[in-house]
Amino acid sequence: MILAALVNGLALGAGYALLAVGWTVLLGAARLVNFAHGQLYMLGAFVTWFVISRFGWPYGVAVPVALVVVGVLGVVLQLLMTRMTLEQNIVNLMLVTLAFGYLLQGGAALLFGGDPQTIDSPLQQQDLALGAARITGQDVLIVVLALAFYAVTFVVLGRTDLGRMVRGVAEDPKLAQLYGIDAARVYLAVFVFSAVCAALAGAVVGPRSPILTSMGFEEVIITFLVVVLAGVGNLVGGLVVAIGLGLFTAFFGTFFPPAYSTAAAFVVLLVVLVVRPQGLGARR
Amino acid sequence: MTADVATRETSAPAARRVPTPLRALLWVVLVAAAYLLPAVLGGSDRIYATVVLVAIFAIMSYGVDVVLSYLGEVSLGHTLFWAAGAYTTAILAVRSGWSPIPALLASIVVTLLLALLLGLATLRTREFVFSLVTYAAAIIGLTVVQNTQALGGSDGVVGVPLLELPAVGGTYVARTNAELWPIALVCLVLVVLLVSRFRRSRLGTTALMAQMNGELSTAMGVDVRRTRMLVFVLSAPITALAGWLYAYQRSYVSPDLLSPTFLLFMLTAVILPGRRLLLGPLVGAALLTAQQQLFSLGGDADKIVLGGVLAVVLLASPTGLVGIWHALVRRVRGSRR
Repeated sequence: MILAALVNGLALGAGYALLAVGWTVLLGAARLVNFAHGQLYMLGAFVTWFVISRFGWPYGVAVPVALVVVGVLGVVLQLLMTRMTLEQNIVNLMLVTLAFGYLLQGGAALLFGGDPQTIDSPLQQQDLALGAARITGQDVLIVVLALAFYAVTFVVLGRTDLGRMVRGVAEDPKLAQLYGIDAARVYLAVFVFSAVCAALAGAVVGPRSPILTSMGFEEVIITFLVVVLAGVGNLVGGLVVAIGLGLFTAFFGTFFPPAYSTAAAFVVLLVVLVVRPQGLGARR
Repeated sequence: MTADVATRETSAPAARRVPTPLRALLWVVLVAAAYLLPAVLGGSDRIYATVVLVAIFAIMSYGVDVVLSYLGEVSLGHTLFWAAGAYTTAILAVRSGWSPIPALLASIVVTLLLALLLGLATLRTREFVFSLVTYAAAIIGLTVVQNTQALGGSDGVVGVPLLELPAVGGTYVARTNAELWPIALVCLVLVVLLVSRFRRSRLGTTALMAQMNGELSTAMGVDVRRTRMLVFVLSAPITALAGWLYAYQRSYVSPDLLSPTFLLFMLTAVILPGRRLLLGPLVGAALLTAQQQLFSLGGDADKIVLGGVLAVVLLASPTGLVGIWHALVRRVRGSRR
C-alpha cells in the first residue's frame, strides 16, 4: 500500500510539476497571475479527447494538435492583455484572467457537453507490476516529460540569450526595453509557453481519470500552492515542492478521505505563510 | 491630502452643491421609488423575485466593493463569507430552530472569525498572494462543503423556514417574494448607508490613500497592514448579511454558493459600472440579475455572458461604464468646438 501510494504520488507530483513550470516562469517574468491556467489544462485534455473521439486520430497525434490549439489560444489571450501586462496592472490582470477562465469553462461546456469523458491513451493500458504497486506507461510518460521540461526550462532560462532576455524583462521591463528587448514579445512567448505547458499537463494527466469541463479550478489552486510554497520564481524549488505535494496528496488519500487532501495541503500553506511569507525556497 | 482625495472621490461636484436636507429628501424619494418599482412593473412574482435577488446580490457585491474599490485588493474569497452567512443561518434555523435575528448574529460572528483567519494568514504576504490565498480558500471550501455530511454534503441543507421578524403587534412573516421585498430593501438601504459612512470615515480615506500611494501613507504614519486587515474583516459581514437573506429567499442552501459563478458576479457587479461609485454595485447587480432572471440564455451561455462582460469591460474600459460615459462626453464636447 505504501509502495502504491509512492508510485501514485510520484506520478501526481510530476503532473503538478508540469502544470506549474509554465506558471512559475510566467509569474517570474511578467508578474502575471494567470487564473485561467486551470482552464487551459482542461482544454488541453478536452481537445485531445475531441480529436481522438471525433477524428479517430491516435493519442500521439491528438496531443500535439491540442498543444497547437491551446498555444494559438494563448497567443490571442496575451495579445488582448499586452497593454495591461506592459502597464503591470496586476489587479486588472488577475481579474481579466479570472474572466477568461470562466469564459473558457462556459465555452467548453457548450462545445464538449457536460458529461465526463475518458481520453483513450494506449500507454494507460501498459502496466508494470512492482510488488503491490502498478506503474502505467502513462505514469512514466508524465514523469519523463516533467523532468525534461524542468531541465530544458532551467537551461534555457539560465544559459541562453532567450533566457537572459526573459530574466531582463522580469527584472526591469523599462530598462530591458532601453537595451532593445521587445518586452511585449517576451511576454507573449512566456505566456504561450505557460499555456502549452498547462495543455500538455492536461493532455498527459487527463487519461488517468475521467475528465470534466468543470475541472481546472482545483488545478490552478495546486499550481499556486506549488509556486507560493516554493517561493515565487524558484524553478528547482517548484519541482521539489510539486513532487512533495503529489506524495502528500497520495499518502493523505490512503489514510484519510481523499477529498480533503487539497484542503490539508492548503492548511500547510497557511501555516507556511505565517511562518515564512516569502515561501520555503526563498533565500531571504 | 487625505480629505482632499476623499471628497473628490466620494461626491461629484454637482451633488456637493445640493444642501444636506434636500439631499436627504432626495434619498427618501429614491428609496420610496425603489419600493414601488416592482408594483409599477406589474407586480408579478417573477418581478418581485427579481428585485429581491437584485437587493440580495447587490448587498453581496458591496462586501467585495469595499475591498476592491477602496483598498485596491482583489479578494476572491468573499463567496466563503456569502456561503458562511447562508449556511450558518440554514443550519441553525433548520436543525436548532433558531429565529432569524439570532441566526444573523451567529452568521456575522462565524464570518468575522473566517475573515480574521484569512486576514491574519495573509498579513505579511505580497499583493497577489492575498488574492491567491483567498481564491484557494473559496475553491477548497467548495470541495470541503461538498464532502462533509455535517454540512449537508452535495445536497446542502433544505427546508429553511420562512423569514419571521418581530413587528409591532405580532410578527411579520415573509411568505412570498413580495413580502420579502421590504426586508431586502431595508437591508440594502442600511448597507448603502454603511458604505457611504465608510467612504467618509477615517478608515475609508486611509484605505484609499494606502491604495494610491502605499509608501506615502506609511511615511505619514498609516499602518497599511492594519488598514488592510480592518477593511477586509469589516467587509465580510456585509456579504454574510446577503447570505442570510438568500437562505430565507431560496429556502435551501447548497455548495453552489461557493461556486465561481457568485465570485464572478460580485466582481463584475463592482467593475461593470465603474469602481468607487456609491451605487455602483447596486447598478451592476441589477444589470446582471436582470440578464440572468429575465433574459437568460441557459446556464453555460450565461457563464460566457458573465465572463465576457467582465473581460470586455476590463480590456476596453477598466473604469467601467462611467469611463465610457466620460469618454463620450469628452468627445461630444470636443467635436462641438
